[in-house]
Amino acid sequence: MIASLSGLTALVATPINYGAVLPMLIVFAAATIGVLLEAFTPRAKRYAAQVGVALVGLVAALVAVVLGLGHQGSTLAGAVVIDGPALFLQGTILGLSVLSVLTMAERFDGVGADAFTAQGASAPGSAQEAAAVRAGATTTEVFPLTMFAVGGMLLFPAAGDLLTMFVALEVLSLPLYILSGLARRRRLLSQEASLKYFLLGAFSSAFFLFGSALLFGYSGSMDLGVISRAIGTQSGMDGLLIPGVLLVLVGLLFKIGAVPFHSWTPDVYQGAPTPVTGFMAACTKVAAFGAILRFVYVGVADSRWDWLPALWVVAILTMVVGAVLSVTQTDIKRLLAYSSIAHAGFVLTGLLAFDRVGVSAVLFYVVAYGFCTIAAFALVSMVRAGGSEATQLSQWAGLGRNHPVIAGAFAFLLLAFAGIPLTSGFTAKFAVFSAAVAHGATPLVVVGVLSSAIAAFVYVRIIVLMYFSEPAGDTVRAVSPSIVTTLAVTVGVLVTFVLGVFPSPLLDLAARSSLFLR
Amino acid sequence: MHLVELSAAHMGQLGAQLGGQPIISEAVAPATGVASVAWLLVALPMMGAAVLLLGGRRLDRVGPALATGLSWAAFGVGAAIFFMMLGRPAEERALSLDLYSWVPAGSFQVDAGMLVDPLSMAFVLLVTFVGSLILVYSLGYMEHDPDKRRFFAYLNLFIAAMLLLVLANSYLLLYVGWEGVGLASYLLIGFWNHSPANAAAANKAFVVNRVGDFGLTVAIMLMFVTFGTVSFSGVNAGVAGADQGTLTVIGLFLLLGACGKSAQFPLQSWLGDAMAGPTPVSALIHAATMVTAGVYLVVRSGAIFDATPTAQTVVVIVGAITLVYGAVVGCAKDDIKKALAASTMSQIGYMMLAAGLGPVGYVFAIFHLLNHGFFKAGMFLGAGSVMHGMDDQVDMRRFGHLSGAMKITWFTFAIGWLSILGVPPFSGFWSKDAIIETAFVGEGWRPWVFGFTALIGAGITAFYMSRLFFMTFQGKKRWPKEAHPHESPKVMTIPMIVLAFGSAFLGLILGPTGAIRSWLEPVVGSGAEGEPVIAVPVLMTMTLLVVAAGLALAFVSYWRDAVPVVAPVGSLLTRAARKDLYQDDVNEALLMRPGLYLTRFLVFFDNRGVDGGVGGLAALIGGSSARLRRIQNGFVRSYALTMLAGVVVILGAVWVVQ
Amino acid sequence: MSSFPWLTTIGLIPLVGALVVAFLPASLADRAKQVALGFSVVALLFTIAAALEFKADSTAQFQLQEQHPWIEQFGVSYALGVDGIALVLIVMAVILVPVCLLAAWHDVPEVGKRQQNYFALMLVLETFMVGVFAATDVFLFYVFFEAMLVPVYFLIGSYGGPRRQYASVKFLLFSLLGGLVMLVAVIALYQQGPGGADGFLVEKLTGLKLDQTAGRLMFLGFFFAFAVKAPMWPVHTWLPDAATEARPATAVLLVGVLDKVGTYGMIRFCLQMFPEASRWATPVVIVLALISILYGALLAIGQTDIMRLIAYTSISHFGFIVLGIFAMTSVGTAGSTLYMVNHGFTTAALFLVAAMLIRRRGSKRIPDYGGWQRVTPVLAGVFLVSGLSGLALPGLSSFISEFLVLVGTFQRYRVAGVIAASGIILAALYILLMYQRMMTGPKPEAAAGTPDLSHREKWVVAPLILSFLVLGFYPKPVLDVINPAVARTLQIVGVTDPAPTHPGAAEGAVK
Repeated sequence: MIASLSGLTALVATPINYGAVLPMLIVFAAATIGVLLEAFTPRAKRYAAQVGVALVGLVAALVAVVLGLGHQGSTLAGAVVIDGPALFLQGTILGLSVLSVLTMAERFDGVGADAFTAQGASAPGSAQEAAAVRAGATTTEVFPLTMFAVGGMLLFPAAGDLLTMFVALEVLSLPLYILSGLARRRRLLSQEASLKYFLLGAFSSAFFLFGSALLFGYSGSMDLGVISRAIGTQSGMDGLLIPGVLLVLVGLLFKIGAVPFHSWTPDVYQGAPTPVTGFMAACTKVAAFGAILRFVYVGVADSRWDWLPALWVVAILTMVVGAVLSVTQTDIKRLLAYSSIAHAGFVLTGLLAFDRVGVSAVLFYVVAYGFCTIAAFALVSMVRAGGSEATQLSQWAGLGRNHPVIAGAFAFLLLAFAGIPLTSGFTAKFAVFSAAVAHGATPLVVVGVLSSAIAAFVYVRIIVLMYFSEPAGDTVRAVSPSIVTTLAVTVGVLVTFVLGVFPSPLLDLAARSSLFLR
Repeated sequence: MHLVELSAAHMGQLGAQLGGQPIISEAVAPATGVASVAWLLVALPMMGAAVLLLGGRRLDRVGPALATGLSWAAFGVGAAIFFMMLGRPAEERALSLDLYSWVPAGSFQVDAGMLVDPLSMAFVLLVTFVGSLILVYSLGYMEHDPDKRRFFAYLNLFIAAMLLLVLANSYLLLYVGWEGVGLASYLLIGFWNHSPANAAAANKAFVVNRVGDFGLTVAIMLMFVTFGTVSFSGVNAGVAGADQGTLTVIGLFLLLGACGKSAQFPLQSWLGDAMAGPTPVSALIHAATMVTAGVYLVVRSGAIFDATPTAQTVVVIVGAITLVYGAVVGCAKDDIKKALAASTMSQIGYMMLAAGLGPVGYVFAIFHLLNHGFFKAGMFLGAGSVMHGMDDQVDMRRFGHLSGAMKITWFTFAIGWLSILGVPPFSGFWSKDAIIETAFVGEGWRPWVFGFTALIGAGITAFYMSRLFFMTFQGKKRWPKEAHPHESPKVMTIPMIVLAFGSAFLGLILGPTGAIRSWLEPVVGSGAEGEPVIAVPVLMTMTLLVVAAGLALAFVSYWRDAVPVVAPVGSLLTRAARKDLYQDDVNEALLMRPGLYLTRFLVFFDNRGVDGGVGGLAALIGGSSARLRRIQNGFVRSYALTMLAGVVVILGAVWVVQ
Repeated sequence: MSSFPWLTTIGLIPLVGALVVAFLPASLADRAKQVALGFSVVALLFTIAAALEFKADSTAQFQLQEQHPWIEQFGVSYALGVDGIALVLIVMAVILVPVCLLAAWHDVPEVGKRQQNYFALMLVLETFMVGVFAATDVFLFYVFFEAMLVPVYFLIGSYGGPRRQYASVKFLLFSLLGGLVMLVAVIALYQQGPGGADGFLVEKLTGLKLDQTAGRLMFLGFFFAFAVKAPMWPVHTWLPDAATEARPATAVLLVGVLDKVGTYGMIRFCLQMFPEASRWATPVVIVLALISILYGALLAIGQTDIMRLIAYTSISHFGFIVLGIFAMTSVGTAGSTLYMVNHGFTTAALFLVAAMLIRRRGSKRIPDYGGWQRVTPVLAGVFLVSGLSGLALPGLSSFISEFLVLVGTFQRYRVAGVIAASGIILAALYILLMYQRMMTGPKPEAAAGTPDLSHREKWVVAPLILSFLVLGFYPKPVLDVINPAVARTLQIVGVTDPAPTHPGAAEGAVK
C-alpha cells in the first residue's frame, strides 16, 4: 500500500508553465494542422494553405516568445528550461524560419514551390515522376516538415536534461533528412545527400546517446543541473565524466559542422534544395549552438579544464580547414558550406571564453550569420542557367554587368562574411574575438584572424568574378523573384547592414539574455 | 637655451618670435638704406625668368630684351649697394637683411635672410656685370634660335640663383641657390637636347653635382648637430668651442660639395661635357661664375677651415691635383671649347689651392676668381665669336690665321690670353703670381711641393693657352673653302671688348693698390703674410721664365711649324689627356656598371624573391587545400571513419593527458 | 572649440555627393562629373573654414572634437577630432580629391551608371579618408581603415588596366591581412585599457602601464598593418601593381593619401600608445626604412613602366617618412609630417602628368617616348617640375621636408642619416633618366601634332605646382600647425632632442 501510495504520489502530474512552452506548442500545432491539411484540402489550395499556416504559426510563436519573456523558469520537472539564452535563441530561430519558409515558398512562374520535386516518392527520371509533373503534383509536405524541424530547434537550446536534448535533436533532424532529398533538380544528388545526412546524423546521435549514458552513470541523472552539481563531489565513477562530456559534444559539434565532424556539410549543402540549405545553415546552427552553450555552460563548465584543450583543437581545426578548403571550391553552394564551417569555428572561439561576454557574443554572432546566410542562399537560388541553378562559380562571371542589384546584394553579403567593417559580419567577429581575448584565448583569435584572411580571399574572388570579369555567356541569367524571396533577401541584407552600423540594441539584448538558469 | 625642453605650447610662440628676430653677430649690422632692398637682386632676374617662362610665345620677341634689362637692373642695384658700402668704414660694411622665418621645425629654426658683406658684393658685381654682358652678347649669338625666349629665361634663372647663393645668410639658403644654379646649368647644357649627347651631358652634370650636394648636405647636418644652427653667424660663433675632429669632418664634406660644383678632382668629369651648352652658357656658368661657387663656399667657411689644418691641407692637395690635371688635359684638346674648359678647371685649381692657404690665400683666391671671371669669359665669348664666323666649327685644327678675318675677336682674345698667362701688367699676372708666391710660404715639405706644382702649372698653362691661341688665330689658314670667316656683329663684339678691358686692367686696379685685400679683410680676416721659402724676386723671374718657355714651345710647334689637320697619334700621355686621363672610363668601371648590375639584380629579386615569397605562401595554401579536398571523396563510409578517428584521437589524447 | 560639427560635415558632404551622383536621373546623367566636382569643392571650402577654426597654440591634443556614444557594449564612441598632424593631412586629402576628379574627367567616357559609380566611389573614398584621419577612437579608426579598402578595391578592379583583377586582389589581401593582425592588437589594447563605454578613445588608451611583452606584441600588431599600408620593404610589392593598374586618379588617392594612413598611424598609435615598444623597435624600423629608401630608389631606376617607376619612388619616399618618424626628434617627426603633405602633392603631379602623356602616346613604356619636349613643351615642362619636386630640389617644398627628416635622423643616428642622404643621388638618377629618355632626343615625327596641355589639364597641374613653390618658400604656416602636435607626441614617448654639442653664440643655438 505504501508502495502504492508512493506510486500514487509518484503519479502526481508535474506542473507545466504553459506560458513558457507556448511557442513550441504553437509551432507543433501548426505542424500538425499542416499534416491534416495535406490530407483534406484539394491539391490546388494546398500550397496557399500550407504556406499560410506555416507563416501564421511561426509569427504567432514569435509573438508568444516576446510575450513569454515573463515566464522564465524551469518547467516540466526541469526538462525544459526557459531562460534568457533560450528565449533569445527561440526568437532568433523563429525569425530566421519565417525567412526560410518565405524562400521555400518561392514559386517563380511554376505551380508549386520551385525548389522542390513534384513527388518525392517517384524515382528520378521515371515515368511516374513525369506523370506527377503532368498532374501538377507539388510536395507541399515540406512546410509541415519544416515546422516540425523548427519545433525541435526551439526545444533543443531549451532542453534542461540530456534526454530532452536528444529528443529535440532527433525531432529537428529527421524532417531535415527528408527535406534534403526533395530537390526538384539534380534529384539523385539530392537523395544521396539526404541519405548521407541521415546515416551520419544517426552515427553522431549514437555518440550523443552514449555520452549521455556515461554522464548518467557518472552523476545518476540526465539533468544538467544535477550533473554540474555532481562535478567536484567525489563519486566512484569519475572516470566516466570526461568521456561522457566529449561524446555528447561530438553529437552536438556534428550539428554545427565542426571539424572533424564536418564531412557531411558540403555534400548535404550542395545536394539539398537551396532554400533548405539556407534553413539548415542558419536555423540548425542557431539551435545547435544554443544546445552546446547550455550543455557546456550549465552542465559541465566546472570540469572544463580537463576537456577544454580538446575543444580548442577542434575550434582551430574548424577555422583553418574551413577556410583553407573553401579556397579551391568551384561550386558556390559547397563554397558557402565550407565558409559556414569556418564561421562555426569563429563562434567556437567566443564560446570558449566561458563568460557571459562569450555567451552574448555567440548569441549575437548566430543572429548576424543566420540572416546573412539565408539571404545568400536565396540569392544563389535565383541565378539560373537553362532553368536549373547555376552553381558553378565560373557561371557567375560578369553577373554584376547584367544583374547589378542581385550581384550588389550578394557582394555586400560576401563582404559581411569576410568581416569588413560596417557589416554585421565585422561586429560579430569583433564580439567573439574580444570575448576570447578577454578570457585568455588570444592564440585562438590569432588563428581566427589568419584563417579569416584566407577566407577573405575566397569571397573577394567571387566579387572579382561578378564585377571584374567578362560575362561567360548570356546563358546565365537571374530569374526575377516574387515578393516572398524579395522580402527574405531584403530583410537579410538590411539586418546585415543595420547590425553593422547600429549593433548596440541587439548587443544589449544579447547581453541581457546571456544568463543561464540552472 | 634648448627648445626641446620647452612644452609644445611655447614652441609655437617661440617660432613666431624667431620670425622677427634678426641674425646678429657682433660684426653684422642690420641692413639700412639701399641695402634693405638687396632682395631685389634676386627678385628682379627671378621675375624675368618667371615672366618669360609663363608668358608663352607672345613674349618671343620682347622676352630676351626684357631679360637683359632686368639683369642690368640687378647690376644697378648691386652697384648702388656697393657705393653705399664704400661710404662706410671697413668694419661696418657687413649688413644683414632679415626677410622672414623660413623653416621653423622643432629645434631646427632657419630664417631666410641675406648677408650683404664685401665678399658677397664682390660676387654680386661680378655675376651681374659679366652676366649682363653675356646676356647682351647672347642677343646676337642666339638671334636665330627658335627657343631663345626659354634660353634667356634660364639665364635669368641662373643669375637669380647665383645671387641667392652668394647673398644667403645661412648654409641652408645657400643650398637653395647652390642647387638653383645647378638646375640652370642642367637646363642650359641640355638646351639643345634634341641631340642625345647634349641631354646625356646635362644629366651627367646634374648627377655629379648631386654627389657634391650629398657632401654639402652632410656638412650642414653636422653643423646643426654641432652648433645647433646653420646660419653663417651662428656657425662662426660656434667654431671656437668645437673640437678639431668634428670641424675637420665638416670641412672635408664642404670640400666634397665644392668639388662637385667647381669640377675639382675627383668630381671634375662633368665640366668637359658641359661644353655641349651654347657658348654664352659656357662663358657665364661654366667659366666665370657658377663653377667658382666652390671657391666661394670654402672662403665663406673660412672660420671652419682656419680651425682645421688637416682639411686645409686636403683643400690645397685637391687644388694642386686639379690644376695640373686640367692643364695636362688642356694640352691635348683640339676642341677649342673643351680646351678652354680644361683651363677653367685648372684655373679653379689655383683658386682652391689658394683658398687652402688661409686668410691671405682667401684674398688671392677671390682676386684670381674675379680676374678669371673676366678673361675666361672674354675668351669663351671669343671662341663663340669664332664658331659664329666658322659655322659652329670647334676643331682648332680647322682654324688658323683667323687674326685677319676677325680682328676684334683676335685682339680681345689676345688680351685674355696674355692675362691668363700671367704676363705683366695684365690682370692675371697680379693674382696668379700672388698665389704662386703664397704657395711657397710655409714650413717643411708643403711649400716646396705646392709651390712648384703651382709654378709648373703656370708653365703648362702658358703652353696650352698659347697652343690654343696660335692654332686658332695664327699660322696658316686650315679652314675649308666653303667657310667664310667674318667678324661678329657689334652686339657681340662690344661685350668682348668690355671684358677685354677688365682682363687688361682689373688686376692693375685691385692688386698693387691693395684694394682687394682691404676690401675683403673684414670678412676673411688678415693673416700674417709669411715669407716665401724662395725670395720673391727670384720667384717672379722663375715664373716668368717658365711661362716664356711654355709660350716658346707652343710657338715653335703651333705657329712656326704647320699644324696637321688630322691629329697625330701622339704620345701615350697625349692620348690619355685627349680622353681626359680616362676619368669617364674609371667612373664607368667603378660606379656606373656595378650600379647597373645591382639594379638589374634587384628588379629580378623584387619579382622573384619578395613577391615570390608571398606567392609561395598562397600556393602552399592552395596546394594544401587541394590535398585536403581528396579526403572529401563523397563516400559515407570514409566520412564516418573520419568522425570516428576524430573521436578516438580526442578521447585518446585526453586519456593520455590524465 | 566651436560647437559646429566641422569634421562630420566635411566627411558627410562627399558621402551625400556620392549618393546623389550614383542615383542621378538619366536625364542628368551627363552632369555626373560636374556634380561630383561640385561636392568635392564644397567639402574643400568647409575644410578651409575648419582649418581657420583650428588654434595652433591650444593646449588640448585634439580640437574640433565631436563625441557621441556608438557601441557602448564594446566601449566604442563616434569620436572625431584633429591635432595639427591630422589636420594638415585632411587638408591635403580634400585638396587632392577635386584635383583628381578633374584629372579623371574622361576616364570613363561613356555617360551612364558605370561613369556615375566611378565618381561616386571616389567621393565615398573621400569620406573614409577624412574619417580615418579624424577618428580619435581606435575602433572608429579601424572601421574607416578597413572600410576604405572597399571603394579602392572596386576602383582598381572594375576601372583599372589589363591586370586589374590581380592587382586589386593583391592590394585587398595585403591590406586585409595587415588589418586583421592589427585587429587582434586593437582588441588586446582595449582589454589593457580602463574599459568602459568610451574605453576606445585615444586619450583613454594613451599612457597605459602596459606589460612589456604585451605592449611590444601589440605594437607589432599595429606596426605590421601600418608597414603594409605605408608600404615598407619587404611588404611593398602590392603597390607597384596597384599603382600601375589603377586609373591615375585612383593611384594618386591610393599612394598620395591612403598610404599616409600607415605613416600617420605610426605617429598616432605606435608612438603615442606604445612608447616603450616604439623605442625598443626603433633600430629594426630604421634599418627597414633605410632599405626602403635605397631599394625603392634603385628599383625605380630599373623600371621601364612609368607608373611603376613612380610607385617605386614613393616606396623610397615612404622610407624617408618612416625614418623621420622613428628618429623621434622634433625635427625629424615634423619633417616626416610635412613630407607626408608634400609627397601627396608631388606624387599627384607625377602620376597625373605621366597619365596625360600616356593618354597622348597610348603607352606606359618609357622606351616608347623620346623627344617629346619638342612635341609638347609645356607638358614636358610641368613633368620636369614635378620630377624635380620628386628629387627634392632645394627651393621646392619636398626639399624642406626631406632635409628636416635627414637632419632629425642625423641628430640621433649619424650613420643612418648619412646613408639616407645618399638617397638624394639616386633620386636624381631615377628622375632625370626618366626625363632624358622620354623628353629629350630628336623630335618624334610620329607624334607630330599631338596637342599640348588643355585648359582642364592646366587646372589640374596648377594647384600642385603652386603648392611646391609656396610650401617651398614659406612652409611656416604648416609647420606652425605641425610643431605643437609633434612636440606633444614626443613628450608622450618621453624623448627629448639631443642638444647641439658645441652651441655657438647664445642666439645661435636656436637658429
